[in-house]
Amino acid sequence: MTSPLLVHQRVLAACKLRWGSLNTGTSLTLPPHWRLTGWPCVLAAGKKYQIDLPEVHEEDLDEQFVRGSGPGGQATNKTSNCVVLRHIPTGIVVKCHQTRSVDLNRKRAREILREKLEIAYKGEESELVKMKKESIQRKQDKRKKVNENIEKKRQFKEMLSADQEDDKC
Amino acid sequence: MFKTIWFLNRFMHRHSGVSKHKSVVRWWSSAAEGAVAPPAECSITAEQAIRLWTQHFTLHGISEPLLSSQYIISHVLGEKTLECVQRKRLRDTLTDRERESVWALCSKRLTRMPVQYVIEEWDFRDLTLKMKPPVFIPRPETEELVSLVLEDLRLMRGTDLRCLEVGCGSGAISLSLLRNIPQLRVFALDQSQTAVCLTMENANRLGLQDRLDVYHLDVIKDADAILSKCDPVDFLVSNPPYLHSQDMETLQTEILRFEDHSALDGGLDGLSVIRPILALSSKLLTQGGRVYLEVATCHPPVIQKLVEEMMPGLLYLETRCDLTNRPRFCVLQKKGEDD
Repeated sequence: MTSPLLVHQRVLAACKLRWGSLNTGTSLTLPPHWRLTGWPCVLAAGKKYQIDLPEVHEEDLDEQFVRGSGPGGQATNKTSNCVVLRHIPTGIVVKCHQTRSVDLNRKRAREILREKLEIAYKGEESELVKMKKESIQRKQDKRKKVNENIEKKRQFKEMLSADQEDDKC
Repeated sequence: MFKTIWFLNRFMHRHSGVSKHKSVVRWWSSAAEGAVAPPAECSITAEQAIRLWTQHFTLHGISEPLLSSQYIISHVLGEKTLECVQRKRLRDTLTDRERESVWALCSKRLTRMPVQYVIEEWDFRDLTLKMKPPVFIPRPETEELVSLVLEDLRLMRGTDLRCLEVGCGSGAISLSLLRNIPQLRVFALDQSQTAVCLTMENANRLGLQDRLDVYHLDVIKDADAILSKCDPVDFLVSNPPYLHSQDMETLQTEILRFEDHSALDGGLDGLSVIRPILALSSKLLTQGGRVYLEVATCHPPVIQKLVEEMMPGLLYLETRCDLTNRPRFCVLQKKGEDD
């Protein structure tokens, strides 16, 4: 069984081949254990799919937290852990306050940024846009089918009651 | 109090969705701080409740009034943060039960009880932990301590590992490590029985109890007992009390009134618990085993000097900063036979 690192390295190589280098000659600086979980994407609806999302380089990011000027650490008890992430090359800004953990909000902010970058870079060809369109189409088809079924049942009932009327006569 | 009533009237006039506001105003005017009962027949939406309580918290000088209100009401609606609550839900009228719950919890916040104790839970990395006063509430910096340890251990996947956590509190560090390292066994200790119980409770809730042993022991008084129960370990991790005693009185009311002072007070120089931890680690660690500590921002050079002068068995490896760029973490290593 291949180790996760090797799989990830292969994905990375594939990404670089597809996307080219987004930056010249710089290497990934994300904390190592984040890289391993980097590439499955999380749509706003919370579903997970496996797509090749663009990698982001930490040096392209400007990250802000609300920390205040207090001493920090044990001396402070603040609950503000919203993360604001700005991708400098594109100007895309992501704000994440999905959880009460700074660490997790940072990770989620990066995942959301990668999704936004995918859509920004690829436009109509974006996997995410296609998936969204497919999902909307599926829902429309389902609704149409449900309505058709309701209509069929209604007609069937009408037919039945008409038959009963005939029988009475 | 008159200010509250005036404010409330203005609020009601502006947000005309609230019915029977006169009865609410009368009820509000008779409410004493920290003992506020919800109005019996009053319909209010989640959004309105957030605004109302934010204003009420602000009026009473409660810190983070908006955030407190948002966290509490989101929690009552079954979500962790406001961002997770559906927009539509915010405009729905609160059920009687929800409204009573919001009022009961927000009233607790009025007593300066930290939000984490009010809702009795908080998140630490990817875990949700039960919180219970006076057990110390995990701080965001400590999430980075765990990241640091995981980074180091990344290359040791596959080998069985043993770790000691000193001062486990709610179990945040131990449980995070256990969740992320399947082959890890943790010995956790705390000098507070309440903390020991809470760590065990959180371990059970997360299904991590099999690889965790929690002891009610004091690293200063019970060093021998610790050695006999836990020896040897591959690494030691701790967020020990590290505040200077003279700084204790300047702490926020939330901390002073509700959190265990012995989880914070590190004595005159803030090192009263750190010193015995370092002394213990040189006996307890396997060769090359590391110590990871969260400390006060002034400590790293002091600890480095202390170790170099007085602890020949330990090597000071590095100081790491937290997200606010303050020196926050010390990494040390037990010297090998040849060092």
